[in-house]
Amino acid sequence: MIELIELTKKYNDFPAVNGLNLVVEKGEIFGFIGPNGAGKTTTINMMGGVLAPTSGAVMICGINIQDHPKKAKSKIGYIPDRPYLYEKLTGIEFLEFMGDLYGVDENTFLNRSQGNLRLFSLSEWANDLIESYSHGMKQRLVMAAALLHDPEVVIIDEPMVGLDPLAINMVKSLFQHLAKEGVTIFMSTHTLKVAEDICDRIGIIHKGSLVAMGSPEDLKRDIQNKDADLEEIFIKLTKE
Amino acid sequence: MKDVITLLRPRFLSFKNKGLLKNKSGRGYKLALFGFFGIFFWGGIFIVSLRVIGYFKEIEGFGDILTYKLLSMILLTFFSLLIFSNMLTSLSKLYLSRDLSLLNSMPVPSYKIFIARWIESTLDSSWMVVLYTLPVLISYGIVYGAGFIFYGNIVLVILILSVIAAGISVILIMIVVNFVPANRIKNIFIFIGLCFFLILFFAFRFLRPERLVDPEAFSNVLFYLRSLKAPAPLYLPSTWAFDSIKATLSGHIMQGLFHMALSLSWAGIMVFSAIIISNAYYFKGLSKTRTAQVRLFKYNYSDPRFLRFLPRSCRAFMLKEMRTFFRDQTQWSQLFLIAALVIIYVYNFNALPLEKAPIKTIYLQNLLSFLNIGLAAFVLITITARFAYPAVSNEKDAFWLVKSVPIDLRHYLWIKFFVYFLPLFVLTEILIIATNILLKVTTFMMALSLVDIFLLVPGVVSMGIGFGAAYPDFKSENPAQTVTSFGGLLFMMVCAGYVGTVIIIEAGPVYRLFMSNIQGRLLTVIEWVWILGSFTLVFFLSIVAVIVPMNFGEKRLSKMLI
Repeated sequence: MIELIELTKKYNDFPAVNGLNLVVEKGEIFGFIGPNGAGKTTTINMMGGVLAPTSGAVMICGINIQDHPKKAKSKIGYIPDRPYLYEKLTGIEFLEFMGDLYGVDENTFLNRSQGNLRLFSLSEWANDLIESYSHGMKQRLVMAAALLHDPEVVIIDEPMVGLDPLAINMVKSLFQHLAKEGVTIFMSTHTLKVAEDICDRIGIIHKGSLVAMGSPEDLKRDIQNKDADLEEIFIKLTKE
Repeated sequence: MKDVITLLRPRFLSFKNKGLLKNKSGRGYKLALFGFFGIFFWGGIFIVSLRVIGYFKEIEGFGDILTYKLLSMILLTFFSLLIFSNMLTSLSKLYLSRDLSLLNSMPVPSYKIFIARWIESTLDSSWMVVLYTLPVLISYGIVYGAGFIFYGNIVLVILILSVIAAGISVILIMIVVNFVPANRIKNIFIFIGLCFFLILFFAFRFLRPERLVDPEAFSNVLFYLRSLKAPAPLYLPSTWAFDSIKATLSGHIMQGLFHMALSLSWAGIMVFSAIIISNAYYFKGLSKTRTAQVRLFKYNYSDPRFLRFLPRSCRAFMLKEMRTFFRDQTQWSQLFLIAALVIIYVYNFNALPLEKAPIKTIYLQNLLSFLNIGLAAFVLITITARFAYPAVSNEKDAFWLVKSVPIDLRHYLWIKFFVYFLPLFVLTEILIIATNILLKVTTFMMALSLVDIFLLVPGVVSMGIGFGAAYPDFKSENPAQTVTSFGGLLFMMVCAGYVGTVIIIEAGPVYRLFMSNIQGRLLTVIEWVWILGSFTLVFFLSIVAVIVPMNFGEKRLSKMLI
């Protein structure tokens, strides 16, 4: 479903992401963790088509995003870490904007937009300008918009930032439900507990390279400590 | 004082760190370009001032009255500009900046934050007005043959006047912010300031100053000049500055220094009053401004059916642009200004005294109509610079959306192009038709103007969108100001070059065609070849002007890191 082949991004001479190779299968929840500046957001931006790689390729459902950006992007629901939106639109107008760009037909839009607004507890605010939303509300609105076109792949950077415990719980259940339906989820996070709870596999990135990958059990085996939690694994693998 | 200097350091360091940017060669070009325009403009003001003041002084009988009245008006305008500019800047710096939360969380008294911000605001809002007033005042010194003390005095007087203006503005702002939140005051001030400017401008224009060249109206001018002798109001700080400059100009040094010292004492009072008031009111006003805006407006969702015929992606962006534009109050004042610009433009043609000109009216009407193509195109460039050029930067931090949705950048830029092309095309055609009707031009000139505008508008709009995409500023709090950046200057220069080239290419052939029409003679084969060649060249130039900037913008935007 998602395949990264020798993915590299350099800022001038500095390699932010260095020859990343990984495959995420259909219906899998993949957690991407790493210290600050490790290259998580750069990788996610390349996967979402927001940033062009220096070399290598991102394949989404078998489509190279560099060669066929439009086709590949229509399969993705992309949620960045900072929910910058068009502040002068209302919530429902923003959903309509996204629906039009992803070609969601009118009836589907009417049903899904109302459903997603309810799901993310935004119905009451649907006709208010986004500029009056809190950070968490904006984050929920981006999620509601990203799921509007029924994406096959969800790429999400720091999903839990700004969300209250109730919303975090809801998002965790939602991701598990989507994965069961066959949606591939790739998420980067610093909330290791969330990654441990819902991810099928976890990849640890450090200085632009993948230093470990596998299920939480595989990672414990790697550091030869079956009682370790993800935090200990993370610290051990990324310690300078 | 140490705290204030520490608070000012980030600004100084950001300025210094610009030198650490990787792309130093590009920065050098930009600096050279801005430097050139700055010096060019400064020199222009200096030469014009020198000539005007010199000319006025030579007028026998009332030369000195005129020059001193002009000086008093310049100082009053300078002072008003400083007050207005200080109000807007201090509002932003003291109440709306993003870093204020961080600053106020630090263990520093709020009055020190106020002092640091006020210094920044005063420098930011005054340096340009001061810099471009100096050539006018220096011209006075040269025309009157003043000594060195005069030049030292004008620098001091202008700086003191700037501090007084900054003090008055900031005290007013601190009082008003306690009644109306700062974010709304800014729009109100811009609107009031604009109204004030327009009233003055309309009043001046409708007085028809061109009649001053008419000897029949001269008796009225003499009557008017008598009223010029009336003294300026004593309570205005600009009057004190005027008295000081006038005294040193005429060699009364002690008197000049006395008036300067009076201004200085008032500036001191303003500084201390502002600091004392800030200690009591600044933080209160800031807290009021920071109070979250909740549910200011509710907009019921409506499906605009009139855009249904468009493809989905076009419709999405068009609706977004329209909604964003009309809900942003800062745009309203701009629309108001453009309406005024158009009215003045059309009125100027109505007021032209063509019948008194020494050239035959029919030639003059059609010559003006031809030149009017260029003038209308320059109005178009101004409006494009204000609206179409910042169109891409207007996406601000939400530009990630454009990059992540399944729509390519080329498509996105063309949608932007059409959003601005349609209204600008209609506006420019209306402008040219209205002015041509007022000029009573021939059918040929009317047709030529319409076709030329039809060819010019797409090129100018494409340059606006293309250069705006090539040099975007997604971090700008006010993208409309991006037109003063390097990309904006480049856009205006290329546009002016394009319009000028079209006018030059067409000038000769249009003259031949027009004259043959008037004289009722047939054109020679060579003339026909020249005419057809020129118009074909203009046609192809216009196609290039549409395609090249869009491709340039797309190419640079796709490489941009966000």
